[in-house]
Amino acid sequence: MRFCEWLEHTALITAITNSLVLATIVEVLHYFSLFLLVGPILIVDLRLMGLAARRRNVAQLAADLFPLMWAGMALNFLTGFLLFAGDATTFYGNHVFHFKLAVILVAVVFGVVVQWNAKRWGESPAVPVLGRFLAFVSLVLWIGSILAAVEVPSLTSVG
Amino acid sequence: MHSSLFHFCQWLQNTRWALAISGSTWAYPYVQMIHFTGLSLWVGTSVAVDLRLLGIGRKRAAPGQSAAVGLSDALFVWNWIGFLIAVTGGFMLFATAASTFIVNSAFRLKVGVLLPLALILHIVIQRKAPIWNQAAERPLVAQIAGLGEILFWFAIATAAASIPYFEHI
Repeated sequence: MRFCEWLEHTALITAITNSLVLATIVEVLHYFSLFLLVGPILIVDLRLMGLAARRRNVAQLAADLFPLMWAGMALNFLTGFLLFAGDATTFYGNHVFHFKLAVILVAVVFGVVVQWNAKRWGESPAVPVLGRFLAFVSLVLWIGSILAAVEVPSLTSVG
Repeated sequence: MHSSLFHFCQWLQNTRWALAISGSTWAYPYVQMIHFTGLSLWVGTSVAVDLRLLGIGRKRAAPGQSAAVGLSDALFVWNWIGFLIAVTGGFMLFATAASTFIVNSAFRLKVGVLLPLALILHIVIQRKAPIWNQAAERPLVAQIAGLGEILFWFAIATAAASIPYFEHI
């Protein structure tokens, strides 16, 4: 909590909080990077489930999209931290926000598991059932992350 | 403001389903989820192709087949499925407060000006990608188009985030 108070009043964070332009840019970057993060994951998950881009092999598609996913994730987490820092003491005790972070953490774990195995699953003639199942779980978790994220302002009027 | 458009907005936000969404604490986030999930598919796949046109993250293409063409074609179906999901969710969000949105400057700029222009550029890119990629060197116009589309969607997201600031203007 002390840390949150300190964070909220650091020069960088107050500069962003007090500037409508800077605050809006950070917010827009947070949304935009979300699309770059979640879009590629959903496409690869759908491909593993046999529902998207079937003419392109899994390894090729993963190589096309995962760099964008990592760039999106880096920017999304950075801007997310800046938005959190601007109102840290309020977010600190917000249970819906805690839930959002927990869902994202699990989604990241499944996302990484899918990425590590995508190439191997793609090399077998048909994607194994386990691969399809984990891709489906990843898909649900990432859409769930979006839902958990929009529930924060909706249920608690914070953010 | 055309009065017929305003009457349509009044009617729309008083339809039973629009009232159900705006009057419910749980339904509204689900509609936002639909809008953002669609946007992830749409923007994610569009930007992936744009970056390829810019030559960023380009993998060595198989002989006779340019990487950008293959990617644009492979993503085509889910690109437009994403667009339809985003528009469906967006229309439902609009319906909850249609007569307020329709007079909002940021919303009008987003939907009336930026969105049609961005869509035209997007369709041009999807049609031209095969031609641009047959050239030995990627033409400058392809790079400008790719960068342009990224900037357009970023501007649209900025206009959307600015809607609350124009609520009482």
